[in-house]
Amino acid sequence: MYHYLLSFSKEGDIKFISHLDLMRTFIRALRRAEMPVAYSQGFSPQPRLTFAAPLAVGLEARNEYLDLYMTEAWQNERILQALNGQFPLGLKVKAVHEVELEKSPLSSLINAALYIAILTPDPGDFSEALQNILRAEIIMKVRWDKKGEKTLDIRPFIYHLKIGDSEEGTGKLLMLLATGNKGGARPEEILELLPLPGIKARVYREALFFPDKGRLLTPEGISSEEYMER
Amino acid sequence: MRNDYLSDLLARVRKPGRYLGTEVNSVHKSLEDIKVHLAFAFPDLYEVGMSHLGLKILYALANRLPGVYAERFFTPAADMEEILREENILLFSLESRTPMKNFDMVGFTIQYELSFSTVLNMLDLGGIPLLSEDRNGSDPLIMGGGPGVFNPEPLAPFFDFFVIGDGEEILEAIIRVYEQWKEDGREERRTFLKEISRLPGIYVPSFYEPEYSKGKFTGMKLLEKGIPEVIEKRTVYDLENSFYPDCFLVPFVEVVHDRAALELFRGCSKGCRFCQAGILYRPVRERSVGRLKELAKSIMARTGFEEISLSSLSSSDYSQIENLIDELKNEFDKKDVTFSLPSLRADAFALKQADKLQRKKSGGVTFAPEAGSERLRNVINKKVTEEDILEAANQALHSGRNHIKLYFMIGLPTETEDDLWAIVDLVKKISTIRQPGGRRKPFRITVSASTFVPKPHTPFQWEPQLSMPEIRSHQDLLRKHLRKLRGVEFSWHDPEMSYMEGVFSRGDRRLASVLKRAFLEGSRLDAWNDSFNFPLWEKVFQDEGVDPTYYTRYNPGPEDPLPWDHISTGVSKEFLISEWRKALKAEVTEDCREKGCVGCGLADCSIQAGEVKCTTTF
Repeated sequence: MYHYLLSFSKEGDIKFISHLDLMRTFIRALRRAEMPVAYSQGFSPQPRLTFAAPLAVGLEARNEYLDLYMTEAWQNERILQALNGQFPLGLKVKAVHEVELEKSPLSSLINAALYIAILTPDPGDFSEALQNILRAEIIMKVRWDKKGEKTLDIRPFIYHLKIGDSEEGTGKLLMLLATGNKGGARPEEILELLPLPGIKARVYREALFFPDKGRLLTPEGISSEEYMER
Repeated sequence: MRNDYLSDLLARVRKPGRYLGTEVNSVHKSLEDIKVHLAFAFPDLYEVGMSHLGLKILYALANRLPGVYAERFFTPAADMEEILREENILLFSLESRTPMKNFDMVGFTIQYELSFSTVLNMLDLGGIPLLSEDRNGSDPLIMGGGPGVFNPEPLAPFFDFFVIGDGEEILEAIIRVYEQWKEDGREERRTFLKEISRLPGIYVPSFYEPEYSKGKFTGMKLLEKGIPEVIEKRTVYDLENSFYPDCFLVPFVEVVHDRAALELFRGCSKGCRFCQAGILYRPVRERSVGRLKELAKSIMARTGFEEISLSSLSSSDYSQIENLIDELKNEFDKKDVTFSLPSLRADAFALKQADKLQRKKSGGVTFAPEAGSERLRNVINKKVTEEDILEAANQALHSGRNHIKLYFMIGLPTETEDDLWAIVDLVKKISTIRQPGGRRKPFRITVSASTFVPKPHTPFQWEPQLSMPEIRSHQDLLRKHLRKLRGVEFSWHDPEMSYMEGVFSRGDRRLASVLKRAFLEGSRLDAWNDSFNFPLWEKVFQDEGVDPTYYTRYNPGPEDPLPWDHISTGVSKEFLISEWRKALKAEVTEDCREKGCVGCGLADCSIQAGEVKCTTTF
């Protein structure tokens, strides 16, 4: 069996399909491309692919990841071409790397994400509001799930917030937030905390990070600090 | 065109994935090069419409024609409709996001009566006047097709023309007539309608006027010279070489039938007397095993679906079913494709075929005995014995299944209380099936009882429907006694919905005003429990002075003209009358593919089993 790490983007209206829909879309593309995908063992075998972090409906993403297992070795470029030839508009494989079989899938490691909101029209300087959030000790948010309403503190999930350099007439907000199975904050929850009346926000997930010796790194080895400075 | 504004709308609705229009195998053409812009509209939600085979055949077929672009419309869910209405946005196509009113022609698929008000809603949301007579030169031409237009009368004033029969047979001819009219300057709509009415299979309702005397329908008056008195349905005789798509649309969101469909054959020769499809889709036309295997291969290559359903009205009756299954299994064994055989006959042979197809023999199996007693099954010509059913159930359980679904109908002609008890008895017998060792393996039985709706063009078109109190009391009896049985769940159809189906099934043109009024008062998606509003309908009937019960209790004599007599399925009225009479005597009629022609009157029918030629016996 062979193990590949794929990075891909999800941009444009395809942001409106759910994580489950995305998985189905990937599996069907793999099947059309006749790629030798490995299957899990057991009563109902499933294709072996693991997404690093589910993406909420309505969010675009520039650098998402997927661990894919195959029964035959293919050249990285061949995998990239085969999948991109089968994808619907808006989905694109950006790079393929073969990784050691034993290496854990990224999904078990990812714990932070950088979200970028492009704000129109330009809301001006709201760094004071950002500082207030970062200075706060607790920030209570109400969430709804199947069991009903619950309140939780999202402050521990907010790593960093920053106003970025933006194009003329727009504003740009960078949000480095916790994500993954230990909990996380959602970009819209941050936007709700800010005084941005009448401002339209287009939000995309720019990068995913895993912890490495006290720092946050993307699978390509770029640190979160570097991303925040861009 | 696709624009950010409409994308922003999607952020505000539930399940936006159904409105994208960029699914794999969706067709995107440059609008500048288009001569005929066609809309295919399905009056239900995306998830339902995208499960419909006919739409996919026509979509792929039309888009193969040069200069033609066909796009899709489904009805928006309530949240999307609210936004469209509030912000005055016209209902737009999925692909190019063009408003419906800007299309050349809009074709609605009519599948069931309870979608009628949704058709009107879609026209209205699309910016198109509801009534054909109110539309002018720039409005699209509205056409209707599908099984629901074999009695088009309740919809007549809203449509410019109807297409009767197999759509793929006539679509291109319609487009050519339109093209010519457009080249000639697209002036009088009547000129186009006159021209299109010359095509066999086309019904232009405004050229016909129903006449009534003392409240009863007495016949159709022809308002134009040269139009046919009877419109004969169109039939694809050579199904083997007819167009069939391999580029099925692959939806993003999970739809009702999230799989490819391989149509084995069209038509059914079993002759169940309540069944409208059995008449409409005659004669039986099969595809060859070779062709089906090739289609299956290219469908899988182009869609990546995990499952193909071997579809038709009764798939295990495909004459080469064993051979086909062997071939498909050989071809796809290593490719992780599952096959399903959705319409099973309640017998051991059918079940064996289904078993051969499935790797895992768990899960459920569905049988449709339709009636509980042998006598009533003879009445409806459902030629399956209690022995067959018990054997099939036995085999299903022994092969590892743990769920049996049984479909019955209540209110069939000649039904008595004994027949309801027979349902209870049959379910009881199944529920006590033991394993060879005598142990009772736990399994579930789901019993579903729908209410018989008399359908036009069937031998039961002259029979009334149960009244609502009767429907309720029948359901009560079943509910009370089935509940006592271990492992049995009972479900039933909403009596009010069945009643509404009954009203419109055999309706006439007088119902159109009711329909329009009901739509204006807010009725839509009536087939959905959460939006069906019966009190609204009751009020509208009252306001319009139309008695709905007239239609459900309608029991004309064989000599009385019927509001749909001008639409012909090719099956003779004499045959239907003779089937009706045999039904009342509980006499069965054999399957013509097994025992030879039964004289249904269909022309150009060559029965495949044993090459028996169909000849009229009258």
